[in-house]
Amino acid sequence: MRHGPPLLGGLVGAWVLASVPADAAPYAYITNQGSHDVSVIDLATQAVVATVGVGRSPAGVVASSAAGKAFVSNPDSRDVSVIDMRTQTVVGTLPAGSGPVGIDAAPDGRRLFVADWFRNRLLVIDPAQPGAPAVEIPVGRAPAGVAASADGHSVYVAERDDDSVAVVDLAHARVRGRVSVGTHPFAVLEDAPRSRLYVLNVLSDDLTVVDTQTLQVLATVGVGHAPYGAALADGGRLIYVTNQHDDSVSVIDADTLALRQTLHGFGYPEGVAAHADRVYVVNWMDDAVSVLDAASGREIRRIDTGRNSRGFGAFIGAPAAH
Amino acid sequence: MHALSLRRFAAIALTLGLSLPAAAHGPTRQKVVEEVSVNAPAAKVWALIGNFDALAQWHPAVEASPADKGNEVGAVREVKLKGGGSLTETLQGHDDAGMTYKYRAKDGGALPVTNYTSSIAVRDEGGHAVVVWRGAFYRGYPNNDPPPELNDEAAIAAITNVYKTGLAQIKTLAERP
Repeated sequence: MRHGPPLLGGLVGAWVLASVPADAAPYAYITNQGSHDVSVIDLATQAVVATVGVGRSPAGVVASSAAGKAFVSNPDSRDVSVIDMRTQTVVGTLPAGSGPVGIDAAPDGRRLFVADWFRNRLLVIDPAQPGAPAVEIPVGRAPAGVAASADGHSVYVAERDDDSVAVVDLAHARVRGRVSVGTHPFAVLEDAPRSRLYVLNVLSDDLTVVDTQTLQVLATVGVGHAPYGAALADGGRLIYVTNQHDDSVSVIDADTLALRQTLHGFGYPEGVAAHADRVYVVNWMDDAVSVLDAASGREIRRIDTGRNSRGFGAFIGAPAAH
Repeated sequence: MHALSLRRFAAIALTLGLSLPAAAHGPTRQKVVEEVSVNAPAAKVWALIGNFDALAQWHPAVEASPADKGNEVGAVREVKLKGGGSLTETLQGHDDAGMTYKYRAKDGGALPVTNYTSSIAVRDEGGHAVVVWRGAFYRGYPNNDPPPELNDEAAIAAITNVYKTGLAQIKTLAERP
């Protein structure tokens, strides 16, 4: 769940260029925890172009354009499946502790960061060295969501059962800071141009806004019941938050942190990601992705997925052009 | 559902070879969605089932279902089952105009589930009613290697049975002349 560094073009340019090369077709990789596969949606045609069998009960995902691969965490088979974005096939399987959940990739695509739920570790995995043991960094209890910083120096880890977020210093492989947030933080999202981290607190029904420079809490924004996923959309102007127990999505103005509107009609929405002028919301209950117009929040269509779809992570990416 | 039928459903699930792999991690959230088409106006069906405390009037397995604050959010419903067993459920939302309500049970009580959330809704389809009952839950045993009566399949079988028997009775009651 990472967005690119500020570029000369300003905020909007940073987001537009963040994840996807301009001339490549982007794809969304939706993990289906109940059918043990990934639905690959071609965003150009808005259709599922492949259903890729992976490990057991896939949950987390990061589509790394830099790597040209999507990485999927499988908590029940305790590994990470590697999907090639050009062929939409599994090209590798990496061991990943005792219960991998949240996953993100370094900006250059060369390292993976995986939360190991049961052993309270952040795993740092080199996908090019599938046999090599992961670097293990101790973190707090029940690590869930993971976000790699756009500058490549840090990783943020939601420590669900400690109600905190750990800031991991990658150079020294240790936690360099910790921020107390709301109750049961699950997902984390970096907003690099604003030097912020958004933390979604499932049991306190709010979003904690953290200044990534000072590690101070800037604000706490109330959302719906059980917020599970967040994405920046509409050129970084809006924050979309899925409220799992309300079947709703909160749309927040990223500049003012004011609630803009609440959208209804979802089915236990979980993962959310944005590309261009659209937002993709994963409906776990309905086995479908809702495609929304980012600026208005209007639903454009629904796309069916596999069973119990989650899409927990930055699930949109594209292979680099030749 | 009382304990005996739960064990029976767990046994059926096991017979069908649906057991989890031995090396499973902690529980994964499961869901059940059941629906029934009723040859009656949606408003009539909602009048039958719409009150949070009306469960005992239409679910064949339920003896009593008083709710302390009616349809107010936060109302607690004490569900007493025929043949023993109980559940405590809290109302999370109630929408008369939308013909739906939702509730939650942290502990499944007589059902082999935990962190259970559910909603029931009636919608109109060309003058007829469709009732949709859906639930999300974790199995009763929170750690690895659950006993068969508390695994994912047992949880799904129990909730499916509750929904199917309840929806069948709604159809019977609402279609009565």
